[in-house]
Amino acid sequence: MSKTGINWQSDETAKRLARRYAAERRFKALGLAAILVSLAFLAFLLVAMLAKGVGGIDLQFLTASDSTDPATAGVWAAVKGSLLTMGVTIALALPMGVLAAIYLEEFAPKNRWVDIVEVSINNLAAVPSIIFGLLGLAVFINTLNLPRSSPLVGGMTLALMTMPVIVIAGRNAIKAVPPSIRDAALAVGASRVQTVFHHVLPLALPGILTGAIIGMARALGETAPLLMIGMRAFVPAPPAGITDPSSVLPMQIFLWSDEVDRAFVQNTSAAIIVLLVFLLAMNGFAIYLRNKFETRW
Amino acid sequence: MTSSALFLLVAGLGLIGWLVARAKAQKLNTGRGALHSRPGHHGWHLALWIMVPALIGLVTWQSVSPGLIHQAVLADPTAASLPMMDMERNAVLSDAYALAANPNAAVFNPDAQKLVGAVQAAQSKFNLFGALITLLLAFAGGAFGYTRITAAFPARTHVERVVLGGLLLASLLAILTTGGIIASLLYETGLFFSKVSPTEFLFGLHWSPANGSFGAVPLFWGTIFIGAIIAMIVAIPLGLMSAIYLTQYASAQMRRVLKPLLEILAGIPTVVYGYFAALTVAPMIRDFASAIGMANPSTESALAAGLVMGIMIIPFVSSMADDSIAAVPQAMRDGSLAMGATRSETIKRVLIPAALPGIVAGVMLAISRAIGETMIVVMAAGAAARLSANPFDSMTTVTFQIVQLLTGDQEFDSPKTLSAFALGLVLFVVTLALNIIALRVVKRFREAYE
Repeated sequence: MSKTGINWQSDETAKRLARRYAAERRFKALGLAAILVSLAFLAFLLVAMLAKGVGGIDLQFLTASDSTDPATAGVWAAVKGSLLTMGVTIALALPMGVLAAIYLEEFAPKNRWVDIVEVSINNLAAVPSIIFGLLGLAVFINTLNLPRSSPLVGGMTLALMTMPVIVIAGRNAIKAVPPSIRDAALAVGASRVQTVFHHVLPLALPGILTGAIIGMARALGETAPLLMIGMRAFVPAPPAGITDPSSVLPMQIFLWSDEVDRAFVQNTSAAIIVLLVFLLAMNGFAIYLRNKFETRW
Repeated sequence: MTSSALFLLVAGLGLIGWLVARAKAQKLNTGRGALHSRPGHHGWHLALWIMVPALIGLVTWQSVSPGLIHQAVLADPTAASLPMMDMERNAVLSDAYALAANPNAAVFNPDAQKLVGAVQAAQSKFNLFGALITLLLAFAGGAFGYTRITAAFPARTHVERVVLGGLLLASLLAILTTGGIIASLLYETGLFFSKVSPTEFLFGLHWSPANGSFGAVPLFWGTIFIGAIIAMIVAIPLGLMSAIYLTQYASAQMRRVLKPLLEILAGIPTVVYGYFAALTVAPMIRDFASAIGMANPSTESALAAGLVMGIMIIPFVSSMADDSIAAVPQAMRDGSLAMGATRSETIKRVLIPAALPGIVAGVMLAISRAIGETMIVVMAAGAAARLSANPFDSMTTVTFQIVQLLTGDQEFDSPKTLSAFALGLVLFVVTLALNIIALRVVKRFREAYE
């Protein structure tokens, strides 16, 4: 063994090693600290909302509608408005999104037009939501003269926002179906349309639905685009149809948060709890779908 | 007949057509190979022939009939007494329409009552006409489709061609949306710039729409200060370190628990963050500011909004950093560790430099998301347009002003309202540019390691 010039046993090397290991431990602790700080903030937020709002949730709060008196105000009108809006959104965004995803993944030729479609879908997914509100205001309300503040316009605006999310999720789900399934169907004489609608789509459906639910959850919590189309009206009675003026749950939270009366703090926090419960249920359902139907090929 | 009832009727006719055609094709099916297409395809073929022309007719009629009704009402003798001015006449007419739809509607013009009869007569006449056209189209299409049911008829090819057309239309909706956004923003911005000069808007230092000064620089500064500086000072270190810990140190089990928990931060609606920022964080920051000796700090501060926004962005930065660190080839990491470097040295000297383009792209995407964020700044940042570098000051942003300008009373042609669209256009262009550059960087970075 030749001498290398480094004495691994010397005090100096030992110190250097100790220093490096200390730096290693510090770095690891810093990483853990970053996660813990973020989660602590999350816990702080949730606990603050629960502490302020949980006392305000009772049957009366869930069944009453908005009112100027905090004691009798409730969320039912806003919940119903949200349900109607989400109904319009899903009725438009899901079929359109799935059909577009099928086209782009299974039938689209490779050419400039298809490239433009792909680029615009990817960009739409990143456009700030308030821009969709401006589009809804300029097109649906000022040009097409659809009723202001209605779940119809709100749902259409949110559908434009949700569609790119569903297209991207749908394409990934369709891409995950192995080519052997398609080859087998084509080999026994199915046409390409039959192959896609009878074999590929049913297998990709859980993935598509998971993506759709996550997109819907995002739309349910969205406020900014709906502010643009005037859904911030005071609505004392639940909307009867999709063309009636209506509020939605996040908008109700926003409106109550603006009230000067301190008693509305409890209402706002309680409405936030209701909204978070809805979101939790939707995300939970998406996770359940994914775990139950996920196939590893 | 209302249009929804008409729609249901057409759909019902389509169903009948489907059953009839399938039954007829079934009879032609004398043995193996007798039919070109399966009976179900013949069913769809006839159903499409019934429904598509009828629905196209219905939609066209829906869009032209209000104009025709309008003409008919104006031609009615009771309309002769209407004011000649377009504005007043339309106000009376829209009241009359409201009364015709709902006799208890609250209206302002007493003249409207006289017109209700004329309006209702015109509406029922034209609606009946529209229903007749729709049904005629349904039956004509159905009759034509029915004659085409023969054993050799390639119904499947025809149906599939329609299906493909439908798929293509659905994917064109994305282009239509993008085009709609660009067209509407450009159009309204053009109107705005015909009243206010673009240089004043882009470089002016004073923003006060109520007094007619539209210098948007303070808004741009507020947006950058809150979204790109304060929020990123919070989000980059926390997000990056979380990603490093999760990918390099955490056990698989810890990762399975911590990652979804962190993702919850991204799933909380922004209005909840905004409320939290306004109710809890902003007062804490105000108290802190007065504790360090600031003179009357405001409740609304750039710091409160930026801080909460940064927290919201953490999962986003973290997952982008996660992806780019995972894209660094394992061999580089192994090489560094084999040379005797500790894990933190490997991360700091090898992984992060190698992943830097991806991380920078992720930060750009995060910034584009932060500057487009609305509810947090609306609820916590304030309305004062000022050029200040003091994070405890109240500051306003582009998104805040858009909301401010477009909610409440609005006349659609005033520069005040139009300026919101100009701000929207700036926001759209900046976020789009950030996204395109970021995606290009990510793509090139992936290629470098493949």
